[in-house]
Amino acid sequence: MRRSLALLWLLLVLAAGLHVAMIAAGGLPLQTDIMALLPREERDPVVQTAKDRMTQALAGRAVVLVGHADRAVARAQAVALRQHLVTAGLVRPETDIPTAEAVRRLGAAYFPHRAGLLAEADRQRLEQGQGEALVTRALSQIFGFAGMADSRLLARDPFLLFPAFLGSLPVPANRLVMDDGMPSVVDDGTTWVLVSLILAGEPYALDFQRRFVAGFEAAQAEAPPGLKTLRLGALFFAHAGADQAMGESSRIGAVSLLGTVMLVLLAFRSGGPLLLSVAAIATGLVTALSVCLALFGSVHVAAQLFGASLIGIAVDYALLYFGQIFTPRTKPAERLAQVLPGITLGMLTTVIGYATLGLSPFPGLKQVAVFSGVGLVGSFLTVVLWFPLLDRAPARRLPRGAEWASAWLWRVWGEARFGRVRRLALVALVLLAAAGLGQIRADDDVRRQQGLSPPLVAEQMEIQRLAGFGQTSQFFVVQGDSEQQVLEREEQLGERLAGLAGWQSAARFVPSAKRQAVNALLVRDALVAPHLAAYRARLGMAEPVADAPPNQPLSLAGIRATGALPFLDSLVLSDTLHVVTLDGLSDLTAVRTSTEGLDGVRLIDPTGDVSLLLRAYRHRAMALLAVSTLLMVPLLAWRYGWRGAVMVMAPAAAAVVLTPPLLALAGLGFSFFGAMALVLVLSIGTDYAVFCAEDRQRDPVTLVSVGLAMSTTLLSFGLLALSEVAAVRAFGATMLVGVVLAFVLAPSASRMRG
Amino acid sequence: MDPRFRGGDERKEARRGFGLTIIAGIALLLLAVAARAETLTAGDVLRGRFVQERHMQGFAKPIRSEGSFVVAPGRGLIWRAETPFAVTTVVTPAGLVQSVNGAETTRLAAARLPFLTRLYDMMAGALAGDWRALEGGFAVTRTGDRVALAPRKADDATAAQIAGITVRLGRFVEQVEITKPNGDMDRLTFTDQVLNAAPLDAAETAMLK
Repeated sequence: MRRSLALLWLLLVLAAGLHVAMIAAGGLPLQTDIMALLPREERDPVVQTAKDRMTQALAGRAVVLVGHADRAVARAQAVALRQHLVTAGLVRPETDIPTAEAVRRLGAAYFPHRAGLLAEADRQRLEQGQGEALVTRALSQIFGFAGMADSRLLARDPFLLFPAFLGSLPVPANRLVMDDGMPSVVDDGTTWVLVSLILAGEPYALDFQRRFVAGFEAAQAEAPPGLKTLRLGALFFAHAGADQAMGESSRIGAVSLLGTVMLVLLAFRSGGPLLLSVAAIATGLVTALSVCLALFGSVHVAAQLFGASLIGIAVDYALLYFGQIFTPRTKPAERLAQVLPGITLGMLTTVIGYATLGLSPFPGLKQVAVFSGVGLVGSFLTVVLWFPLLDRAPARRLPRGAEWASAWLWRVWGEARFGRVRRLALVALVLLAAAGLGQIRADDDVRRQQGLSPPLVAEQMEIQRLAGFGQTSQFFVVQGDSEQQVLEREEQLGERLAGLAGWQSAARFVPSAKRQAVNALLVRDALVAPHLAAYRARLGMAEPVADAPPNQPLSLAGIRATGALPFLDSLVLSDTLHVVTLDGLSDLTAVRTSTEGLDGVRLIDPTGDVSLLLRAYRHRAMALLAVSTLLMVPLLAWRYGWRGAVMVMAPAAAAVVLTPPLLALAGLGFSFFGAMALVLVLSIGTDYAVFCAEDRQRDPVTLVSVGLAMSTTLLSFGLLALSEVAAVRAFGATMLVGVVLAFVLAPSASRMRG
Repeated sequence: MDPRFRGGDERKEARRGFGLTIIAGIALLLLAVAARAETLTAGDVLRGRFVQERHMQGFAKPIRSEGSFVVAPGRGLIWRAETPFAVTTVVTPAGLVQSVNGAETTRLAAARLPFLTRLYDMMAGALAGDWRALEGGFAVTRTGDRVALAPRKADDATAAQIAGITVRLGRFVEQVEITKPNGDMDRLTFTDQVLNAAPLDAAETAMLK
């Protein structure tokens, strides 16, 4: 019977393996978009399109400032860098810096329409009847030392409104100037030349990142002394992040793997237990992956990573089983019989815990629930069905130190004379936690969760300062029934934004037809009619040239066709859907409030959205934690009675409750990642307590097994507390403190049955 | 000329017009200080009076203004037009500010002006008696008390703004004529020039900050 079940399980595992292998042959359908974790109904296709386009526009580019004390060197090196990267096939040969010819075309497109074009400040003055101020400005430029005093221009634009309009265009990087065809800025004796690069590959593909950075560094290596470069681009951040994560995970991973292997080998002095433990986890992973692919069609990478760590708990069952080699039981069946109730109950409570994750509307957590639930059952079946058949490990003597320590921990929890110590320790723990309670702060800011490379952040800020880039990640989406309506809505939005932030909108480059008509009337009525005659008389100026006004108002298509404003293309997603970008933003809340209620205008805050998502997930995880605790109680009550169930739940519950305030004392914020670790702490802690509760003799072997389980958990998760990435560090630190607490408190569960 | 491109030229001029006049102005300052046998050094203050005449097509008579100026090498220029329209222009390495009756009418950051910063380099070079910086952009010919400057490249930004500059030298520069490609001409005549007669006063120091 047992053999045929084991065989059946083998067939199932093989089938799952084949299933996964077949899909993997065509590339595993892994999802990596963090937004894919959001519930479907919250994803607006318009917002999604806008976000995708903005990400593409930003991530597909890189900006480098090349600086040198000698202008000629800086310029030559800027050309060399671009050339090097183009030759290596890493960036596209085209550039988004407009040619002189394109700028000329832009002038030619604007000039005939000048009657309808006004700088925003000039428009406001005319609206307020302050035409006099514009007359004074024109006079000061004509009589002053420098100015627009050019007879051909004055004949067509007597008040010099057109240069004022051009000067007011919100071109990005407004500190840069075209110096002989190259955007440059001189700062503190250094000439900086901007190199704007359009990437020829996928910025988030690891391979492309590596090749790009290698190419970039090779170009740098040939640079003359004194050359400085500043980098800005998603690729650089992503590469640094991946580099750090890989370096870190290979270091932490190596220590963790080596430590776990050494621990298991040293503890059991044979390779069998190690191989079988690995088999238990591997079978769990394979079956979980297969079921997830069959159910969801794809696996989210976050679900896979987190689910895999949940399945890792299964190693505890293997360790508990192999702990039996320190007992006189030599027959595998006897060993299994001894631990079967404990691991069955442990598995069931853990599956309940994970299953509650599936109750959430978040597709990500559903996947985690299915993935880890199935995997855990798979690993459990391997332990129960295969271990007795494959286990050849001989009985061994429990090392004396371990035996002594275990017996001591049992006694502390079991013997009356330690009552005072127990109470004191618990009170101290509670007081410490109470002290930390006031210092708990929620930490959902996604920017703090990522480990952005500090030197790159510094370079980015320096570039922003030098070049005048100040674009924030927040932007507006403006929708309408027609292009004209969109432009009009952008003008309404602009009136609300004035004074709060800088902004770039298509309407600032091409006013709506309505606005153009209003501007022309405004100039006629508030400037030309009251002031032109006196102005001309004062200067002795001939009658202005009366060019025939154009038949059509200035059109967005006409301006875009000049090719002089490439970034305008990124603002126009379609005729009826535009993006308005922001810069110099200091108060997002004020912007949000003052722009509320505008038709067709929506503020999008991608980082804020991710932060909100993390907060929602954190709340959800906390609620689920409570639900799963409650759901475990009936099962435990069935086995231990209500009172016993409470005693068994108590260690894990205490660990879950005490860990966040204790970490707060150490200055760690509470994030979604910490909350997820608590889900694990609850499951692991309940397992430990169940294993202790199942042991009626207070056998040191039990605590040694649980201690081994804790050690492997600390090696695989606790070490993550050393990570540079805040999210990973929070997870690791929570595991570290929570699991240790759960272990130390676990023997208390045995008291009722002792 | 193709009418479609006429606007382009206008626009280009519009964009570069500020730069142009500054080029002209600084070029003359540079000459003003470099024309002397011994060059000016930082700390010197040159004061004088000017007459500026703008000969422009479509105007009955030249636009004439009169006033005083102060040049402080390394710090900048204060150009006070007094009649017929009082407007003060202050040029420093940071940029250009114009004001009428104390109220600012125009402000241009040097960062937005393509040539200003380079021209400061040129000026610094010329102050040290090094004409090569200037000769990078202009062909310089001296005949007697006259210096003529012509843009070297026919197609670059300088040539789009300036057809030529002629300078008449005395102890300091006495007259500068700047001819533009469209036939407009600015004539600046300097009188009463004195070196280091009075240091910068508090108001002037504040303007050149």
